[in-house]
Amino acid sequence: MNESLIILSIVVVTALAFDFTNGFHDTGNAMATSIATGALSPKVAVTLSAVLNLVGAFLSTAVAATIAKGLVDANLVTLEIVFAGLVGGIAWNLMTWLLGIPSSSSHALIGGVIGAMLAAAGSSGVEWKGVVSNVVLPAMLSPLIAGLVATLGTYSVYRTTRGLDERRTDRGFRIGQIGSASLVSLAHGTNDAQKTMGIIFLALISYGSVSADETLPPTWVIVSCASAIALGTYLGGWRIIRTLGKGLVEIKSPQGMAAESSSAAIILLASHFGFSLSTTHVATGSILGSGLGKPGAEVRWNVALRMLTAWVVTLPAAALVGAAAYGVTAGIGGLAGVLVVFAALIAGSFAIWLRSRANVVSHDNVNDEWDDRASSRRPAAAGAES
Amino acid sequence: MDGWLNVGALVKVLVFGIVAGAGLPALFALGVRTQAVGSGTIDGQHLAGDRRPLLTAVAYVCFALVAVAIVTGVLFVARDFIGHHTGWYILGAEAK
Repeated sequence: MNESLIILSIVVVTALAFDFTNGFHDTGNAMATSIATGALSPKVAVTLSAVLNLVGAFLSTAVAATIAKGLVDANLVTLEIVFAGLVGGIAWNLMTWLLGIPSSSSHALIGGVIGAMLAAAGSSGVEWKGVVSNVVLPAMLSPLIAGLVATLGTYSVYRTTRGLDERRTDRGFRIGQIGSASLVSLAHGTNDAQKTMGIIFLALISYGSVSADETLPPTWVIVSCASAIALGTYLGGWRIIRTLGKGLVEIKSPQGMAAESSSAAIILLASHFGFSLSTTHVATGSILGSGLGKPGAEVRWNVALRMLTAWVVTLPAAALVGAAAYGVTAGIGGLAGVLVVFAALIAGSFAIWLRSRANVVSHDNVNDEWDDRASSRRPAAAGAES
Repeated sequence: MDGWLNVGALVKVLVFGIVAGAGLPALFALGVRTQAVGSGTIDGQHLAGDRRPLLTAVAYVCFALVAVAIVTGVLFVARDFIGHHTGWYILGAEAK
């Protein structure tokens, strides 16, 4: 086994690890509101979402779009840059998960790759115009559009059922909510699993084991990416589910249905028309919109503001980690450099996981009353006054 | 694409987004309403007559339309996959 094959294997494992964090980071995008309203029990919700992510990952057999395309100079991409970028993405995903903030997994990955490229080749290696028009502008516009659609949807749903006894409409809306949440899960699988497939595909091409002319990634790539994202989804990012389902808006089934319909429609339409966007930004915009569209509903703007801050910080922060990871990898050089950074990534991830044990959010307490005064991200300790 | 942003595509996302993302929930809500009213008035815990079969029928039409729209949407997303594995190229899919 030669050195570059070992590096390739580590890159593939790291990419699958990123896919896994992508899964649990984004479970909430689809299922947070269904869990919050009780339309689905937490366990059933994550299982359903995992299965649909798995199916969705298989459905999209278009050429796995490389995430780096149009953002960095493809000729300069090396295995080390891809590796460092993935490390940046994973690190930022884990940090934001610890804080319960639904930030964009795609932005974390893109930031990591850009940072690694900056460290490797300087500013000329990055296609800045592509970054603005493919990443920054869609990131600013997609939550606004999703929010607008969800506001209109929520308003018309409440307008249509005005004056009816809630007991007679609730069952119908719960079914609608489960259906629309399932669509978001499916859309997520088709979109996000593809990104990791693209990364692994890119690594295989640069290693030379796959021709760049291939239209489909090898089957084992599709199967492993689909499984990694489904497994992550099943694990459930309870911290983020809690923030999205309970923190932002106190949500009812009709709102949840409107929010998810908006999310599913925008994600599927945007990818059809060639916009790459973050499912997280769309889902958050939709949930906010469902709070705006319901007469008398309350939106917690301080929670929204904290999310917004995290969104802005995601690209530069992941870029910083990506650049540092590349610096160490290239500084030590060769297989040793990759191994050192890989070990650091494992140690760091374990430290974050240990830290998370201090205040566990699980399927048991994910729906506890939201306490805005104290440690707002955390559920009140069991038995404490809320 | 020369511009920073494909405005034409953006407008399409917005328009179709409103039709599908807000229109379908509204249609579903109409179904919920007509079904509730069509099944008669509630007297305490029990249904107390005044069933209106026409409204019930309208409700099922609403639900059916929503279901058709969703199935079409899913088939649209999966059209390349279906084409690749079965040879049935539907909804504008093309053989590669």
